[in-house]
Amino acid sequence: MKRKLALAICLIMGIVMMVQFFIPHPTSLQFNSMILKWVIILSAFAMVLAIGNLSRHHGLIIRKKKKNWFYSVVTLTSMGAMAIIGLFWGVDAGSLFQSIYLNIFAPLSATMFALLAYYMASAAYRAFRARSLEATLLLAAAFIVMIGFMPFGQYIHPRFPSFAEWIMQVPNMASQRGILFGVAFGSIATALKIILGIERSWLGGKE
Amino acid sequence: MSTDPWIWLGAILTLMIFSFLFKDNPFYKFGEHLFVGVANGYYIALYWHNSLRPNLVEPLSQGQLIYLIPLLLGLMYFARFIPKISWLVRIPIGFMIGWSAGVSIPATFQAFVLKQLEGTIITPSSFTNAASGIWAAIILVGVVCTVVYFYFSKEHKGILKPTARLGIIFIMIGFGASFGYTVMARVSLLIGRIQFLLGPWLGLID
Amino acid sequence: MKWFEVISKIDRRIIYLLLTLFVILPLFIPIKIPQNIMPQTQKLFDFVDSIRPDDKAVMLSLDYTPQTAPECHPMALAILKHCFARNIPVVGVSYDPQGPGLAVEAFATVVDDINRQASIKEDSVIYGEDYVYLGWKSGRIAALLEMGESIISVYPRDHFRNAVDSFPIMARVKNYKDIAIAIVLAAAAYPDDWVLYPQSRYGIKVGAGLTAVMAPKYYPFLQTGQFSGMVSGMKGAAEYEHLIFAHGYTKDLGTAETGMSAQSMIHILIIIFIIMGNIGYFFSRRKK
Repeated sequence: MKRKLALAICLIMGIVMMVQFFIPHPTSLQFNSMILKWVIILSAFAMVLAIGNLSRHHGLIIRKKKKNWFYSVVTLTSMGAMAIIGLFWGVDAGSLFQSIYLNIFAPLSATMFALLAYYMASAAYRAFRARSLEATLLLAAAFIVMIGFMPFGQYIHPRFPSFAEWIMQVPNMASQRGILFGVAFGSIATALKIILGIERSWLGGKE
Repeated sequence: MSTDPWIWLGAILTLMIFSFLFKDNPFYKFGEHLFVGVANGYYIALYWHNSLRPNLVEPLSQGQLIYLIPLLLGLMYFARFIPKISWLVRIPIGFMIGWSAGVSIPATFQAFVLKQLEGTIITPSSFTNAASGIWAAIILVGVVCTVVYFYFSKEHKGILKPTARLGIIFIMIGFGASFGYTVMARVSLLIGRIQFLLGPWLGLID
Repeated sequence: MKWFEVISKIDRRIIYLLLTLFVILPLFIPIKIPQNIMPQTQKLFDFVDSIRPDDKAVMLSLDYTPQTAPECHPMALAILKHCFARNIPVVGVSYDPQGPGLAVEAFATVVDDINRQASIKEDSVIYGEDYVYLGWKSGRIAALLEMGESIISVYPRDHFRNAVDSFPIMARVKNYKDIAIAIVLAAAAYPDDWVLYPQSRYGIKVGAGLTAVMAPKYYPFLQTGQFSGMVSGMKGAAEYEHLIFAHGYTKDLGTAETGMSAQSMIHILIIIFIIMGNIGYFFSRRKK
């Protein structure tokens, strides 16, 4: 019963939304609008779940004084402080919330990703070997694109940028479209399996 | 050099993360955990101001009682933390998953299958000039061969073998082009950080 | 150690150091090379340029994050300058939770700059009349679909908690029928959702400003016309800056331009690294 109710709701919602796509009647559109507004609200609640899990995880580390528990204090304190500042003092331009976003959050997240440039260069140097025809093609395409799209590419040969663009618009586009078809059919199949209750991993637990 | 304490804070945090290039260290760990905390605090404030208050609390306070239904469904998420009634969390999850699956099927067919098929098939309009006709034919061959390569339900023997081989060639060219763009993307991120350190912080460049 | 073993086993710290130097040096000694404009950037520019002033609005979805700001933030600034210079109303939204901070910054930067230079009221850009930033909303797909019927029902309040129905711009922009194009500046698969949902149901035109790593994936959408143009990476941002500068919509080039010489040098360095690694590999294999 506990699982069947959820499966029934999933089935009904899935079929109703699929059919609604094809019905332009005002009643159908009004119903769709109502459901969309509910989904916007429910999506916000789903986030609360994620925050709760994070708090529980770090709270446990602090309570049991596990290794590096000090860093969990940092996480929970900064989370609480940022939330309170945003909730009570607003999120406008020029607010403390915005300043923390631009001068703490943004530099930290941007720098973490900037490290990838170093790892990418090191990995390309160590692992990028023309061991086979396929690897050689991959390397050649990479070189042509890297040179062709830089401003100096046109000085190597005036047609270099156009050749790089051709690689993007013809062979690359063909392979990306083939992959897109695969992804599209895969997601349609998965969605159908979920609606029909064949795919039940989202139910979790035993009960 | 900047005298703005916020710029200095941003620069110090940037250098703390960059210190990971030498090895993992307490400065990096501190920065990492600070980031997780600030990010989640940011999300809490954003979700309240931008979604929950204008789209739920205000309509309810104006007497639109229909919004009690999504409120009830949303509160069921919290059942996750109470073992006796934790099964209730499946109801809003089932609602959301059923909704998104139902909405996605016709949309995916229309945008990702039919429209893309339209762009692949060769028609007289593909031959605006000789070159465009040849490229259209190459695209058709490339798409078919790529799809055949990913068809694993049958062994790649007979006609499937050379088709799949041609498919992998198209895929490798596509991945090579993607790598070229990836280099561009990752380097841009590094340039952005260095520009910040040399510009607003140290004042060495404009 | 033989020479080919040396060149294929360079310490990673030397690679990191060289990379850093090749980024820093061009920032001090910029090399100005004329940009070649990619067709998809030109296409997006031409589309925005063809929108009649004070007619339909441009919806700008600012979905990039601090990690990808060096690529997408210059695009946002350039597109905003283009729209405001042509008196095209702009409705800003975000669907990535990290987007609003940078979106507020982008609007503030461009609007402050324009208003500082404006000599009369007609030249200045006013919040609520010429543009509005509605902010971020949860349930992205639901929000995208509902905006096709009514934008105000999704955003009763803007990012700054003002009532949206109090703005003159929103009296003209009610749903997608009043939007000429939605330009999605994204670091994740948000353009897919715009094509899948609002475009397939309401036929809205979609343009994209993407990080370079995502761009190859979206060429199929360019070819079918599902994208009305695409700006890719820092190079694309530099191209758009060039286009608005060349057409007199702005007096100076933006920040993406200054990063291009560093980017060119790094590309050369990485190609050299890969060639060195392969030479060492081939000679090692021959020796065996």
